Amino acid sequence: MLRAALRSLLQHKLRLSLTLLAVVVGVAFVAGTYIFTDSLKRSFDALFDAPQPDVSISVDTGVTAGGGGGGGGGGAPGGLDQAPTLAESLVSQVAGVDGVAAAYGLVSADGALVIGSDGKVIGENGPPARGTTFLDDPAISALTIASGRAPSGSGEVALLESTALTGGFAVGDTVKIDTASGGLVDLELVGIVTRGISGSDGSTLAVFDLPTAQKLLIGTTGRVTSIAVRADEGVTQDELATRIDKVLPEGARTQTGTQRSADIAERLATAFQFINTFLLAFAFIALFVAVFLIFNTFSMLVAQRTRELALLRAVGASRGQVRRSVLAEAAVLGLLAAGLGVVGGIVVSQGLRLLLKGFGADLPSGPLVIEMRTVVVSLVVGLVVTLVSAYLPARRAGVVPPVAAMRDEIALPVRSLRVRTAVGAVLLIVATITAWLGLRDTSDGQRAASLVGISALCALVAIIALAPMIGRGMLVVLALPFSRTTIGRLARENGRRNPRRTAATASALAIGLALMSAIGVIAASTKASVTAVIGDTIGADFVVFGVKFQPFSPDVYEAVKDTPGTRTVTYVRQVPIEVAGDRTALTGVDLEKFPDVVDLTMQSGSAVPSLGLGQAILDDKTAADLGLKVGDTVDATFVNGKSQLALRGIYTAAGPYQGWITGLPTLASIGARELDSGVYVRVADGGDVEAVRTAVESEIAAFPSVALQDQASLKEQIDSQFDRVFGFIYALLALAVIVAFIGIVNTLALSVHERRREVGLLRAVGTSRPQIRRMVVLEAVMISVFGAALGVALGVMYGSLLQKVLEPQGITQLAIPVGQIGWFLALAVVGGFVAALWPAVTASRLDVLRAIATD
Amino acid sequence: MPTTTAAARATSLSKIYGSGDTRVAALDGVDVEIEAGRYTAIMGPSGSGKSTLMHCLAGLDSISEGQVWIGDTEVSTLSDKALTMLRRDSVGFVFQAFNLIPTLTALENITLPLDIAGRKPDQAWLDTVIDTVGLRDRLTHRPSELSGGQQQRVACARALASRPTIVFADEPTGNLDSRSGAEVLGFLRRSVDEFGQTIVMVTHDPGAASYADRVLFLADGKIVDEMLDPTADRVLERMKAFEQARG
Repeated sequence: MLRAALRSLLQHKLRLSLTLLAVVVGVAFVAGTYIFTDSLKRSFDALFDAPQPDVSISVDTGVTAGGGGGGGGGGAPGGLDQAPTLAESLVSQVAGVDGVAAAYGLVSADGALVIGSDGKVIGENGPPARGTTFLDDPAISALTIASGRAPSGSGEVALLESTALTGGFAVGDTVKIDTASGGLVDLELVGIVTRGISGSDGSTLAVFDLPTAQKLLIGTTGRVTSIAVRADEGVTQDELATRIDKVLPEGARTQTGTQRSADIAERLATAFQFINTFLLAFAFIALFVAVFLIFNTFSMLVAQRTRELALLRAVGASRGQVRRSVLAEAAVLGLLAAGLGVVGGIVVSQGLRLLLKGFGADLPSGPLVIEMRTVVVSLVVGLVVTLVSAYLPARRAGVVPPVAAMRDEIALPVRSLRVRTAVGAVLLIVATITAWLGLRDTSDGQRAASLVGISALCALVAIIALAPMIGRGMLVVLALPFSRTTIGRLARENGRRNPRRTAATASALAIGLALMSAIGVIAASTKASVTAVIGDTIGADFVVFGVKFQPFSPDVYEAVKDTPGTRTVTYVRQVPIEVAGDRTALTGVDLEKFPDVVDLTMQSGSAVPSLGLGQAILDDKTAADLGLKVGDTVDATFVNGKSQLALRGIYTAAGPYQGWITGLPTLASIGARELDSGVYVRVADGGDVEAVRTAVESEIAAFPSVALQDQASLKEQIDSQFDRVFGFIYALLALAVIVAFIGIVNTLALSVHERRREVGLLRAVGTSRPQIRRMVVLEAVMISVFGAALGVALGVMYGSLLQKVLEPQGITQLAIPVGQIGWFLALAVVGGFVAALWPAVTASRLDVLRAIATD
Repeated sequence: MPTTTAAARATSLSKIYGSGDTRVAALDGVDVEIEAGRYTAIMGPSGSGKSTLMHCLAGLDSISEGQVWIGDTEVSTLSDKALTMLRRDSVGFVFQAFNLIPTLTALENITLPLDIAGRKPDQAWLDTVIDTVGLRDRLTHRPSELSGGQQQRVACARALASRPTIVFADEPTGNLDSRSGAEVLGFLRRSVDEFGQTIVMVTHDPGAASYADRVLFLADGKIVDEMLDPTADRVLERMKAFEQARG
């Protein structure tokens, strides 16, 4: 029987090749994901090979981590990395500990914006721009000098290779750097440094000697952010750390090199796990879509081979043998496809890298890593998916009666859709109920979202189950424009005659498009909500923000504050704050001027102008999370220590305006650095907005690390950030859509083969080749539009439901991207057309005689 | 020059498959004239080339040598497009099996060539044809709801609906029981007698051939004999004579 299976595979190789392709694409995505993350992990391993201090000393009081890349506009957390510091005198104290070979004070902090030769900050809205001290001890320094020499003295700097490359600098050039504490400085580039791994996440690194780093980065002398220690030979890291701990003041702590590596390894593992899972989710969507395709193919092959299978049965093959022969065929196909998929995975992994690069992340490159696990998982996935999809057709093959061999016409039993419809109807009811429960659920967003998610899943399965029913009716509607012509009617009836097949083909497309349109609705709604908040909240005409939302020098405010024609010019400052484990920002505002530029809605308590020293207001969401109410006093941890804040009012969170807000004097009292995070400008009533814009722009021209934004440009910036994220997801979903289109090609190719006598007959009675092509194309476009319409309807509906559920999370506006959905439908028409080309041409070229010959 | 009395004509028609040692002449220099308004049967044992002759005459198959005309049109030089037009407008077909499009109703199948051409059927003629085949009450049925004989009658009606110059029937009764077969043959006979239709029918059944005005006997790619006003017995005898001659 295996030989029969293999022979049949060879016979149908053209017809199976598309099925193969679909499995290959899905498996390649799985394999590619593993190869990609494994390779990435391997290239990060270089980090661990790089030298590092045996023991590092840092301070753990205060909030150590920053907010990362800018999260939006306004006074958003961002550039919050204001590192806590240690007294430099501690360095010599540590150096005196027995077993310490050398100890170095280091300063490392965000806020060294390197200005490229084009006058713009390198890596504009990307990850942070760091400055650091060069650790001149090759045994423990992660940085090595690639060319030139180490910086020494206040006029010198070294740059990370990728930074220098992007900026277009070579050793000897003068580099402009806008520093957090030293302002804009001109430095001579004396060296290029490299660190363990190639590539870059877009962050930049400027390297100074210690006094320069102290001056430019933290604005103090006699302080360092960490101390690096090299151990004497024969002293273990743990032992040394224990000894050093004894001389350390409270708040400072040691970390051995081994611990540090382990920490990094753990963090990377978590990150990679996330990336892996995220990408695999899309791979499995593509595979799920492929299931429909495989199912269709095997169903059709079994149907076409009814007589052959019956003959096998007639000569004594058992049901099981016939069934197994079909499954064996599927298994060989699955294994073959999975094998090719592993190879394809290499291509996909490179594609993922390029895709991520296109969306702004230049990842370190390294050798391709193909683990045994990748191969095994891919083969298993390919095999299982194919076998599962082929199981039902195989079972059907088993029940072909031997007598079918004697029948002339292959009459396929027309199975009733009743059971299927009933299942679909029940699921639809379940979907409705869960959606209703989700919408009514007010306990917390999580549960409501889960309920809507379950509902969406039920609805999807229901739609797949009901698709044959819906399709029969829908194709009649879709064919209306063509049903006056015989060709149009033939195309329509071809689509309707096998509702299951059409439904499976269309459902495959529906899945991808449902996800795409649901995401489209959420994306549009999120954008609309954020821009609405900005419109409602920001009263200022212009806001000056730091590039990368880095804090900037108060000189900017000084330069702008007296611009003629303004009504209010004010600044805000931010420091990181930790309250009950919740890390957010404390924004200091001018009590009188701030309400004139930012309009916060108070829910309870007092508003900004009445805030005294040590008093603050908080947004409703954070307050609810922390269980705080007006009148409460909380212990807050800052970079430079702890303090108490009295909660005097609660305001409605408005997009970027979240977290604690207090008066500038409170901020000064906790020792915040004198750096601004935003300068707000409101034009005098009836004033000339454009004149003010020009004036402010010319004033801030001297500060390359800040930019003037108005509401329109802020919206644009936010839009482009969302577009990036959603664009990435679309790109990943595109694969599932491509598989679905391969499915359309496949179904049509098989249908044309199945109906070749009909086509021959049509040709014999005078149907022209273009008419045959039109018939096939119309059928394809109808199937594709049917699938797209199902998907879009489902997607828009669940996108809207999700928006309702996410309303408390700030997605308050429902926006349906009509244009985008129009594009999806247009894509379906074009895709259906393209998918039909090959089958249509094949059909039109069918040899009339051969097609009508009774074999 | 073509004569006006011939609905179709072939001169020195050869159809050769393969080359060298594997060269097989399915048709070997056939000269034939199909008279208009008459019922011609082509008979011969299997492999004699009778189906090939019909396919070549109908423009369904390419020819190796010679010329073929349908009416005044030389078929052998036509492009695929022109052939399609010719089949649509001037030729009707009845095949042995699989004559109908399963997704179309009986009526839609009958008017299919006209619909494809975008022509309006001549309603009076259509009614005549439908009544002649006796399918008035079956018009909205799909082929799967019709018996084999009914299906062949629908196919005959389709072949006649566009008033073609010539109708080719390839073993039209091959798959039918004798009663249904007789119905179909009777109908074809009537269409010649009453409507002046030209019909060429390939068959291996002497009974079927007896419905024709003229029988052409084909053997080894050549026309070897011809009989006018045949009866089943005479045809059978002639066939036996061939078998013995070849034996």
